[in-house]
Amino acid sequence: MKDRYLYSLRKVLEENRAFARDIEDIISDYDQLYEDALASGKTDDEVWHILGDPKEVVQELIESMQLKKEKNIKTKIVATMPFISLIIFFLLGFVEGLWHPGWLVFLLIPISAILFESKLKDGIVGVTPFVSVIIYLILGWGYGLWHPGWLVFFSIPVVAIIVNVDIRDIPVALSPFVATIIFIVLGTYYQLWNLGWLVFLIIPMLGTLKHQNKVQLVLIELSYILAIIFYLYMGYTYSAWYYGAIGFILPLTLSIVFGVIKIAINLRNDKKARILLSIILATIILFFVLGFTVNGWVWAWQVLLVIPMAGIIIYDKVRLTALMPFISVILFFSIGYFFTLFHLSWLAFLLIPIVAIIENA
Amino acid sequence: MNTQFKKGIVEMCILSLISRKDMYGFEVIDTLSKAIDVNENTVYPILRRLTAQGYFETYVEQTNIGAPRKYYRMTDLGRDRLKQYETEWRSFLEGVLKILGGNYEG
Repeated sequence: MKDRYLYSLRKVLEENRAFARDIEDIISDYDQLYEDALASGKTDDEVWHILGDPKEVVQELIESMQLKKEKNIKTKIVATMPFISLIIFFLLGFVEGLWHPGWLVFLLIPISAILFESKLKDGIVGVTPFVSVIIYLILGWGYGLWHPGWLVFFSIPVVAIIVNVDIRDIPVALSPFVATIIFIVLGTYYQLWNLGWLVFLIIPMLGTLKHQNKVQLVLIELSYILAIIFYLYMGYTYSAWYYGAIGFILPLTLSIVFGVIKIAINLRNDKKARILLSIILATIILFFVLGFTVNGWVWAWQVLLVIPMAGIIIYDKVRLTALMPFISVILFFSIGYFFTLFHLSWLAFLLIPIVAIIENA
Repeated sequence: MNTQFKKGIVEMCILSLISRKDMYGFEVIDTLSKAIDVNENTVYPILRRLTAQGYFETYVEQTNIGAPRKYYRMTDLGRDRLKQYETEWRSFLEGVLKILGGNYEG
């Protein structure tokens, strides 16, 4: 508990750009306070209450600390970025004739605003939509790879997970995205739609690795392997793929019996998680429906942006600043693609710093 | 009670406690919270701020429970500040008590 408290405190101090010497001093003091409180007979919970929530503590401490001045330099960079972008844009246009795609330099405005004005983690997450759009447009315009180029938008939730999720949970949290990417690539380039879905099994197989009982863990993993072998054998030998799938009842049953599958039970009590899961499923279904029915692969990926937006709205308070990167990507792409106004639609990205300034004023 | 007002009182109490004897962080929190209704988690930040303002100096002393402890000792600047606080506070209290007792010139 003490380590967790000190770790949270250190993190909040770092996020608030405290100097290293202040951080070390404060952490050492709180280490002592914690030890002394424990020695006086208090429980961990009581000590946590006495010392206070790290975020509130840091708010109180800020008066007594010097904060790094880098913020001022960063603010200057953000403020001058529109002019810098304009100069680069004209240089590219007049000198090289690169009016298009030279306008992409204007993306530097929101990117610099997000990178420099937010905390590092938020900045990295916020910049991902822009980087994804750039890569997507390069893949699309440059190589005609609209599909499966849209997979690059998976980097948005993937980066958010890497940055925010506990390192031990990252493999499981990332497995749905990794599996989908492998599935789409195998299907698109090797027509392996039929076998490709097996990669989705890495999701429960990785999830099971967290199971405490090692014997049960080995049994479940072995049952997956047996089920896969049975599926392939039935499919290739008798072309009985559907019968082959019956084998997966074995790992499913074992997982339920050994208590590995309990996500559904937890979800029942967590209203927020239930809503988010429904939105994730609904958007993914909508994406594929739009893709297959009206061949909307080029633009339908935008519905996937609803997932991180829903996450922000459900788990954080509704802040337009946090939502603007996604909204502006949708505005930019929709106006650009449907009305062929890409040379104007980039202006949507200017909404990000404008909204941030208005909302935080 | 107004938070800023309360913080001012806590600040004065911390100065007063440490003017009587050198104390370590948790000792200040514990003594204060037993005597008055105080939000314990505000004590260390105030202690740190007062130290940064030069009202206390710190030194480290070995203990028998493990890691060495940081003690706070009052400086001359701290004593002056405490005197100033006490004067202001006593005159303020006198005024308040007068009003409460109905003993004031209207």
